[in-house]
Amino acid sequence: MAKDLKEIKDIEEIKELGWDELLPGAALFSFREPVEDVAEIPMEERPYAPTNSHEWQVGDWRVEKPVYNRDYCIDCQFCWVFCPDMSILSRDKKMIGVVYEHCKGCGICVEVCPTNPKSLLMFPEHMDNQEALAMWPKKEEKK
Amino acid sequence: MLEIRWHSRAGQGAVTGAKGLADVVANTGKYVQAFAFYGSAKRGAAMTAYNRVDEQPILNHEKFMRPDYVLVIDPGLTYTADITANEKENTKYIITTHLSKEELIKSQPKLEGKEVYVVDCMQISLDTIGRAIPNAPMLGALMKVSGMFDLDYFKGAMKKVLSKFPQKIIDANMAAIERAYNEVH
Amino acid sequence: MAKKYELNEVEVWDGNMAAAHALRQADIDIVAAYPITPSTPIVQNYSKFLADGYVDGEFIMVESEHSAMSGCVAASAAGVRAATATSSQGFALMVEVLYQASGMRLPIVLTVVNRALAAPLNVNGDHSDMYLGRDAGWINLCSYNPQEAYDLTLMAFRIGEDLNVRLPVMVHQDGFICSHTAQNVRPLQDEEAREFVGEFKPVNSMLDVANPVTHGVQTEEDWHFEHKARQHNDLMNSMKTINEVFAEFKDRTGREYTPVYTYKMDDADVAIFALGTTVESARIAADQMRQKGIKAGVVSLRVLRPFPFKEVQEVLSNVKAVATLDRSAPGGTFGMLFNEISAALLAGGKKPVVLNYIYGLGGRDTTINMLKEVYEDLDKCAKAGEAVVPLQQFLGLRGPKLSFY
Ligand code: SF4
Ligand code: SF4
Repeated sequence: MAKDLKEIKDIEEIKELGWDELLPGAALFSFREPVEDVAEIPMEERPYAPTNSHEWQVGDWRVEKPVYNRDYCIDCQFCWVFCPDMSILSRDKKMIGVVYEHCKGCGICVEVCPTNPKSLLMFPEHMDNQEALAMWPKKEEKK
Repeated sequence: MLEIRWHSRAGQGAVTGAKGLADVVANTGKYVQAFAFYGSAKRGAAMTAYNRVDEQPILNHEKFMRPDYVLVIDPGLTYTADITANEKENTKYIITTHLSKEELIKSQPKLEGKEVYVVDCMQISLDTIGRAIPNAPMLGALMKVSGMFDLDYFKGAMKKVLSKFPQKIIDANMAAIERAYNEVH
Repeated sequence: MAKKYELNEVEVWDGNMAAAHALRQADIDIVAAYPITPSTPIVQNYSKFLADGYVDGEFIMVESEHSAMSGCVAASAAGVRAATATSSQGFALMVEVLYQASGMRLPIVLTVVNRALAAPLNVNGDHSDMYLGRDAGWINLCSYNPQEAYDLTLMAFRIGEDLNVRLPVMVHQDGFICSHTAQNVRPLQDEEAREFVGEFKPVNSMLDVANPVTHGVQTEEDWHFEHKARQHNDLMNSMKTINEVFAEFKDRTGREYTPVYTYKMDDADVAIFALGTTVESARIAADQMRQKGIKAGVVSLRVLRPFPFKEVQEVLSNVKAVATLDRSAPGGTFGMLFNEISAALLAGGKKPVVLNYIYGLGGRDTTINMLKEVYEDLDKCAKAGEAVVPLQQFLGLRGPKLSFY
């Protein structure tokens, strides 16, 4: 019989499932249990199933990381909309920061950020965020 | 097994005629088959349709047929189609024409010595239905020649088959069937 | 609520009309279709039923057969009953999505009106499309006449939707020879048919918004093999459900279906093994051979997939010679039936003479006389105890005789 993937706690366990334990059709559920109004539940409280990509960390794919600077952000939500990996954390339309577990470092959020100077900029992965913030560029003058 | 081949032009209603006959026959508890040869059947192209009638379920799916009856519903096909193909010794021909039987056989000598019946299904359908759809009158003629069903029974059965059509069309078809039944000879 | 369609005890329907009525009675939610000869009338009749109020579901005209099957996949994954019809080139265009449907375990029903594959372009019947899709992971049911096209289409929903199966089902019928040939059909009344088919049971429905689910996921070497194994296992085991549905249908209608179809095989020395309308024509040929003292029989696969391996072995266990008739160009080898039947026989330790005939391509007429020639060949081989004619012959072909081996 197919094992209920929602019951499985550990991702490693899924990798070892035999053919008779998989859900037919390779259907994958997002949550361990029914969620009536997902939009009302903050991400960190959702009962993600281990097969949800939320549980799979791809942050180590990154060579550069986006750093967020609250000082210039206008909370336009562009970065939240455009991030292909849902790695921008925003609450009540207020930008909070980047989820580094999932951010792949593609730079799209930086590209779409409309402020001057930008409120998101790419820095080397190994650089400390405080150090990055300290060297934030000044406003660019219009030519 | 009774086998019938129709010669027609696409659009003249041979398939509908073969299907209508099949409907009537099936209601009597017999088994039927109605099919046609389709190529790239443009309206007006010569085509053939077929009926098989039997007391047993019909298992034969070959298109090849040695017909008991050949029904020609377009006058021109008597000359251009191979209407005597795969005939039997006693194959009966019912042919749409405005000619008399003698004139017809003279104009198409390969019908010489065969059991030929003539009826002008074209004129009948124009007079009754108002369009050149000679299939219904041909069925009337077939009933007369074959004695398969008597006229009243057949008309009653055809009314049922046509029941989805407006009364005017049903009446016109009944008139066509009856006239051909009486005129075929 | 759909209107009830008044049906006579005996209707005269061609295979297309029969299939269209079965679809109408099955209460399908979504038919997504792109018509193609000779299956066009299935879709045309169905859309007329819908326009006239006899169908409650939706009919979606799409821009290609690829889209037709994609629409069915989406509908089925969303959790509703979906079906469509196609033939030939349209079937070929659908192939990519056929594998999606079976891999995603969606119980879609596809009525296939078999037709040749171009080139040369040809609208008539042969089994090229059936052979093209036979490994796509679908259950394949084969009909020989309009009645069976109707019956099997109704049963297809029950079989595919069974919770132990959940696989898509194709129902095949011969283009024109069945699809455009009107014959006596005894339909079920609407209520009976509906009751037989039953309500659709959604599984992992995408419309269940409290349980968001992803269908059509990517699996690489870590999971793909296991999923395909599971799919194969369930397809192999679907024979149990198929037999149950056949049995229930027999109880209701008296019409009996078995995974392997046989005619006079109990004492047969020689047998024709064919598919489609030829099976019935071969019965006439077999009867005529029996009048000449040759013990002739006919075998066919009612269920092409899953392949009824054991049943085939059993049915052929005493024949001396069997002719496999393939109505599809074999493309550089023997026909599919020859290969699969030979393998079943060999695995069962039997070695009768097995011949292969390629026939009927592009709608070429298959006459009773041709089938009798096959029995004559078989009789010669049976008496000689070995193949005394070529193993592969082309039947009903003009020009010099074409044969191999
Ligand atoms: S770098 Fe790319 S993945 Fe990371 S937060 Fe920005 S948009 Fe998202
Ligand atoms: S795009 Fe820039 S300004 Fe807009 S919310 Fe994101 S970080 Fe703030």
